[in-house]
Amino acid sequence: MEEKSVRRGFLLSKGWLQAVVIVMLLGFTVLGILAYRTYQEGAPVPVKVFDPEGQLLFDGDDISEGQQVFLHNGLMEYGSVFGHGAYLGPDYTADYLRRASNISIAEKGGPPVDEDGLEIEDSDPDPMPRADVARQETINEFRKNQFDEDSGELTFTQSQTDAFEKLIPYYTRFFSADNTENGLRKEAITDPEDLRNLTAFFAWTAWAAAAERPGKDYSYTNNWPPEPRVDNKPTADALVWSAISLIALLGGIGLLFGAFGRYRDLGWHGREQTVVAFRDPSKVQLTPGQKATAWFFFVMAALFLIQCFVGAAVQHYRAELTSFFGFDLAAVLPYNLLRTWHVQLSIFWVATSFVAAGIFLAPMIARKEPKGQGPLGYFLLIALAIVVFGTLIGSYLGIHGVLEDAATNWFGLQGFEYLDLARFWQVLLIVGLVVWVYMLFRVMRSRLKREHPGNMPWLFFLAACAIPAFYAVGLLARTADDFTITEFWRFWVVHLWVEDFLEIFTTVMVAYMFVLLGVVRERVALMVILLDIGLYSVGGVVGTMHHLYFSGTPAEHMALGAFFSAIEVVPLTFLTVEAWSFLQLGANQESKSESAFPHRWAVMFLVAVGFWNFLGAGVFGFLVNLPIVSYFEIGTALTANHAHAAMMGVYGMLAIGLSLFCLRYMIPSNKWPEKWAKVSFWGTNLGLAWMCFATLLPLGIMQLYKSVNDGYFEARQLDFLTDNTTEMIEWLRLPGDVVFIVFGAIPVLWMTFLGVKYTLARRKEDGGGDGDGDSDAELFTVISGPALEDEPPEFQSRTDPTPGT
Amino acid sequence: MSTEILLGAAYGVLLLGGALTLEWLSRHTHNRSQAFRTSGFDYDAQHDFWVCHQGEQLWPTEFDREKRLVRYRAKAAVCNACPAKKDCTDSHHGREITKALDPWPHSEAGRFHRGIAVMLTVLACFVLTVVLIRNHGPAALAVLGPLLLLALGMTWWLARDLLRTPTGFPEAKPAHGNRIEAK
Ligand code: HEM
Ligand SMILES: [Fe+2]
Repeated sequence: MEEKSVRRGFLLSKGWLQAVVIVMLLGFTVLGILAYRTYQEGAPVPVKVFDPEGQLLFDGDDISEGQQVFLHNGLMEYGSVFGHGAYLGPDYTADYLRRASNISIAEKGGPPVDEDGLEIEDSDPDPMPRADVARQETINEFRKNQFDEDSGELTFTQSQTDAFEKLIPYYTRFFSADNTENGLRKEAITDPEDLRNLTAFFAWTAWAAAAERPGKDYSYTNNWPPEPRVDNKPTADALVWSAISLIALLGGIGLLFGAFGRYRDLGWHGREQTVVAFRDPSKVQLTPGQKATAWFFFVMAALFLIQCFVGAAVQHYRAELTSFFGFDLAAVLPYNLLRTWHVQLSIFWVATSFVAAGIFLAPMIARKEPKGQGPLGYFLLIALAIVVFGTLIGSYLGIHGVLEDAATNWFGLQGFEYLDLARFWQVLLIVGLVVWVYMLFRVMRSRLKREHPGNMPWLFFLAACAIPAFYAVGLLARTADDFTITEFWRFWVVHLWVEDFLEIFTTVMVAYMFVLLGVVRERVALMVILLDIGLYSVGGVVGTMHHLYFSGTPAEHMALGAFFSAIEVVPLTFLTVEAWSFLQLGANQESKSESAFPHRWAVMFLVAVGFWNFLGAGVFGFLVNLPIVSYFEIGTALTANHAHAAMMGVYGMLAIGLSLFCLRYMIPSNKWPEKWAKVSFWGTNLGLAWMCFATLLPLGIMQLYKSVNDGYFEARQLDFLTDNTTEMIEWLRLPGDVVFIVFGAIPVLWMTFLGVKYTLARRKEDGGGDGDGDSDAELFTVISGPALEDEPPEFQSRTDPTPGT
Repeated sequence: MSTEILLGAAYGVLLLGGALTLEWLSRHTHNRSQAFRTSGFDYDAQHDFWVCHQGEQLWPTEFDREKRLVRYRAKAAVCNACPAKKDCTDSHHGREITKALDPWPHSEAGRFHRGIAVMLTVLACFVLTVVLIRNHGPAALAVLGPLLLLALGMTWWLARDLLRTPTGFPEAKPAHGNRIEAK
């Protein structure tokens, strides 16, 4: 109980902490209000839908059932709804809306349509006197909101009813086709009830996309998708907030650089450290927990490589849809299965690296490790492996229709893009992450007791806690709930993870690495961390809404989302490795060192993280961020361009960098694969850059052009992808992909294999005994030199005064 | 003329422009990080000395030819008595500051950015060549030919420079520089 004066005070002035807490509180208050507004004002799901005669067409349960058919069959990893999902298939909101409005126009005397609801190409060229009237009537009918808020009942017009009845056979033909031409498995969905419900779900999204909100002149989806047949065009809000957010970005950058022109006011002046020598990392003793991470990194690299191969197969569908070098791949591994594997593996391997790096760093920070950390580590690894392979196998069984309904939901797949995994695996993953946090806690416990909650050990621990906490929010997205609401919670996870809490955890870990290496003082590192948390969170928290411009959420989501996510870009132009540059990372160059800096390639990967943060997240992210751009662009290759450059560029590179940092301690210095580290650095970076610039960016630009000129529906059609020029563009990426896999991913696997190999060898040398971790025999840090005064007194005495070898 | 030729040409120009932008940005961040490293110190270019945040002057003491940097040092007696010493240096011989041409990792970060720029120009060559082959004919040659030459030229120029620039990674050996008389 009595800890009294041992606790070390906060290293900075209280203002730093207060600012960060206020930013967080304000951000989440706004987000909380928006959550409330989503439940209140989200696109309503009618209780019952009637035809004009008062006959029941379908009801709310049918829509919900149809949504589950959509999700559980992995269709969100094939096409999209409200623009969110995969890009090979169509956007079903736009698809249904186009066909339904065509049918309506034809019925009223406009151009005739075929049985699929598409205009017949060379129909009678004579001007049809009724055509304009038919178009106008269709616009009026689709835009008029016939939903009764009190009863929850919706009435379709006659042509809406007819369209629905005609589109059931169309979607039936599409999803139960006896071939794999569309990239789906044969006879993917055949149950008539399911097909009718699925069509009802599409019909509901299309209704919400055109029917005007009560009292407004735009639809529930802010007029998305662009569709002249129902007079859907960008709203005034979309234009205004695009302009305002552009100004916010430019102003923000100006302000930040203005402020940092005066950085000395913050008291930042580089501190000199005269005696810097880096102990040979392989002389640093490893704890059992740290040794266990060798396996984590090996698993990470294996998953990374698998993801690459799966990605190559996914890409093949786009370049050459109907044959995989003459083999009917879709019969076994349909597109949507490969895509869900690809997406989920990307999350899994990055998370594996983060988890391992946390376990590795914790004892370095606490300077001791309690007993049992090693076995716990292996236990966690096995649990993670079960989740990963359970998820992959479950997706296979779900998409192939072996598991159905509740079984699919719990063990197959839930099917939300990025949160695809089934609920059982989702819960297990959360439990695994909680165990991980517990593992960090038991190592850090005594250190935490002696620290002010604003200091680095606590920030490290709290940042780690945020990872499972925000992953758990995903549980709020349930497959049977209203789609607008599930999208809202889904993006709490997707966005807040990558654009806030992972960035924060990253900064804390990197800061700690530098502090442990002795190249940065703790006080300065703490400043950078808090500045970082503040800057990322100002924009990043409310910025979540930039994913919900058109998902049936009210207009204020769009306004706030656009404004705050634009501000998010500001720190990305600044908080790269350059931000650390005044901290004399090359310290040993300037002071006269006798030993080389051991973490050359880990730091180079951090340099790459900085570069991709700027290009992939900042530039490519902002490219798709303005509501007016997103309106035409959402769900096209330009999003894929941003997603790859940001996800692989920032978190992929970081995962590899962290693994190299840790591996450096596991592999003896004379065996350290310096060449492979260099090859993988250039291989991953050049491969990724080639992928973006050879294919994703130009394709995205062409698709955006097509979308603005010809229409969103057209831009998402398969024949756009198989057009002659676009097909060439799809092939251009091939050399980059080869470089990425051969020179990027494979060397990483080799290096992590060495990590395992030498850790095992070392265990034998240590006499097989994992020893008791409580001994603090060797200092974990590699710096030697005069003590840092920030350290609590009891640590100072332990600092090794003699330079290492 | 087919649109593909025009698109190819436009994208080729865009890539070359991207390479140049990257070069410029890289130099820009480089200068900025140089400013960060010496944050809190003002440089007097005319007389070649620095003034620290406490108003003390640092004069050049050593020029390290191998590491391509100049060391400046303040008077030991002044620093040892300075209240801000704790946050400034642990040396008892006076605070030292170095002006390096390009310390690691910025030297190697610069090479990394240069490497990406080279990749962009190589890609431009690749795209232009592929489009030229697919649309061969006088029109294509007239539009794409000069661009291809330009892209090849830029690749050669950037790549040569890349190969010539050392990584600047400090190897493990003691420094031996030439002493300069303290002023
Ligand atoms: C490292 C940071 C980031 C990562 C890892 C990342 C990753 C992703 C991913 C994977 C997607 C695809 C989501 C989907 O398909 O539904 C996405 C979408 C998006 N990102 Fe980011 N992002 C990052 C930062 C940013 C930033 C800074 C911005 C802009 C301010 C941004 C703006 C967007 C927008 C507007 C979309 C939606 C595009 C669409 O749905 O079509 N992102 N991001
Ligand atoms: Fe986001």
